[in-house]
Amino acid sequence: MEFIQKKTADSTLERFLTKAAENELSLVWDRYEGQIPECGFCETGLSCRDCLQGPCISHPFRDSNKRGVCGKDKDILAAQSLLRLVLKGTMVYLDQLNDFAKGVESGEVKPKNKGKTDQILKEVQNLFKDGGIQTKKELPKNLIRRWEETGISPEGISRDLFKASQKLEGGVGDVEEMLLWSFKSSLLGSMAHWLHGNLKRSVFGDLIPTKVEVNLGALKKGVPNLLLYGSFSLILKCKIAAEAKKKGVYVTGVCSDPLIPPFSFPQVTNYGSQEIPILTGAVDLIVVGNQFVNPSLTKIAREWEIPVIPAEGLKREKNPSHFARQIVEKAKKSFEFRRNLPKEIPEVKEVAMMGFSRENVEAKKVLGALNKGQIKGIAILSGSNNVKFTQDQETVSMAQEFLKNNILCLSKGEASVALAKYGLLHPDLKEKYCDKAFSNTLSSLGKEIPSILDFGDGEIVNFLFDIAKAGKKELRDVPIVAVFPEAHRSSEVTEAMWTVAMGISTYFWPSLPVTGSQKTMEALTKFCYEKFGSRLNIFTEKKIDARAKANLVLKALKGEEGFGMSGKPWK
Amino acid sequence: MDKTKCTGCHQCELWCGTEIASVSKELYQAIHEEPQPVPRVYVEGKDFALQCRHCEEAPCIEACPNGTMRRDPETGLVYVNEPTCIACWMCVMVCPFGIINPSASMKVAIKCDRCKNMGHPICAEVCPTQALRLEERKDYRIKAF
Repeated sequence: MEFIQKKTADSTLERFLTKAAENELSLVWDRYEGQIPECGFCETGLSCRDCLQGPCISHPFRDSNKRGVCGKDKDILAAQSLLRLVLKGTMVYLDQLNDFAKGVESGEVKPKNKGKTDQILKEVQNLFKDGGIQTKKELPKNLIRRWEETGISPEGISRDLFKASQKLEGGVGDVEEMLLWSFKSSLLGSMAHWLHGNLKRSVFGDLIPTKVEVNLGALKKGVPNLLLYGSFSLILKCKIAAEAKKKGVYVTGVCSDPLIPPFSFPQVTNYGSQEIPILTGAVDLIVVGNQFVNPSLTKIAREWEIPVIPAEGLKREKNPSHFARQIVEKAKKSFEFRRNLPKEIPEVKEVAMMGFSRENVEAKKVLGALNKGQIKGIAILSGSNNVKFTQDQETVSMAQEFLKNNILCLSKGEASVALAKYGLLHPDLKEKYCDKAFSNTLSSLGKEIPSILDFGDGEIVNFLFDIAKAGKKELRDVPIVAVFPEAHRSSEVTEAMWTVAMGISTYFWPSLPVTGSQKTMEALTKFCYEKFGSRLNIFTEKKIDARAKANLVLKALKGEEGFGMSGKPWK
Repeated sequence: MDKTKCTGCHQCELWCGTEIASVSKELYQAIHEEPQPVPRVYVEGKDFALQCRHCEEAPCIEACPNGTMRRDPETGLVYVNEPTCIACWMCVMVCPFGIINPSASMKVAIKCDRCKNMGHPICAEVCPTQALRLEERKDYRIKAF
């Protein structure tokens, strides 16, 4: 059992933690301590609640209940716990894509590239029917061949996801089969994610690296502050931004897209501390989606008289322009109403260069630097925050270690915001984290390159494929690893799975609910390596220092013996 | 033990097996240990977590032929002095609650010592509904009668 020793690495938040305690408000950390000890069977994946004969467990210390009522043993229970997570995570990407595609089809926005947009919308339809044959054509042939050989090549949402979910209902599949179904589902998620990125690009135009303000200081004094939480329709976000600009309302985001061209949304904080911006008293209205949003927000917002509007309610306003107008009006009214309430905006903010893509960073230059040994490897930092770790500490410490060792770091989503808070995405602060030579190497890759490159949706994969293609190699042969230092959502599990299926070894913290079964753990490393040339590394030790974790990854990247993937050094 | 609160979730068994019975003391490793750790508490039927009652007149102490089963003079807790256990299983036979486990692999009687070395019993600590609680016997009697 473990208790939280330090809640967050972000010193800006400390003042507000005390404030919450003074106001007797329980924040995410307090609620976590209330949950300890968490159910050991669920934690290790040895429980099942799929039918009404249960709940069942596989008891590690008693012979009488090693199997569930229907006969699932510990291995199947663990593999299915993973499958359940992956299915849920896949839905996240499909929902995002569906939401966006529906919004574009409704004609509420005029796409920048009409022809390309129509083509992608058609491909979205095809994803349901045939698993995106066109999308598959754009991926490396060897990869598709390998997926087909192992039987995980997507054959359409309606077939794959329905069948995968039926594995939880019964049948006689073994651990390997369960894992392959998990991979198959996750690949659909990856395609949806990739199409989402492409659709965003064709509708709003190409991503241009943009400076975005990050941390609580991004809130503005003296104007209405409208805060967008989590992921919901991009069309609505755009409409809100446009309307707010006209009416003098300042729009910021938490766990929300920082860039929807031509708009950029300063990121007030990241997932772990999403309740904190409310405590500043400076937020006047909150619009929330589903993913990333803690249900606790409404209660805390009520204490500060802040209205919370769900963007995806059953009875929501269907017309985004109209809805956006209502939201902005409400924000203005709320600002007037809250005018005399005490406000406390800390002066702390950082500038982050976000939104790189294959157009702004040249793959060939990266390849050249890899060949010359100026860049020793590539690490993708992903994931958000998890209350089980000191907020941001793992992600930031690991990134710092990687940079010290001349590893090119790419990040996305929430991980980028976490890193940005500490200046790791600031183009002028490179020399604080990298040595002179590496800093010069980074500068040579493109304009205004920061220590860590933030990529948009689906852009990292494009960029990596470019590198592999330029080097005439497969992704599995390039020294790339993906690291999830503080993961918490099912979509992150799905992302980790598809990353492995693409041939990139992945390091995942905290441990997934498969640790109750030795066989499943082995399958994720040994079996995956045989099939895809990469591993999903899960660790059961709870208390490892972030720098030690980084060293584990570094050893694998450099191809040193003894741990993780036996990746060969780049030659 | 409050029977009305016990949900039969087996958390007490799991954490007792890990903290007390395993070599590694870590859940993830304890699960895979051989021989399998033996929890000192077990859930009887659907909703009754049972462990040693530390009887005032303990039959196991009386039945033990060589004084392996002992009572701690300070705390009154009954425990097994493992090095001297000859695995005759007399205690197993006489225990009215059936809570003493004969460990065939270790050749020793295994029973709850109410975590005498830890200060607080782990089963009570992890019980999510507080069906298992550590209370002074006096309080228990007031509630019971």
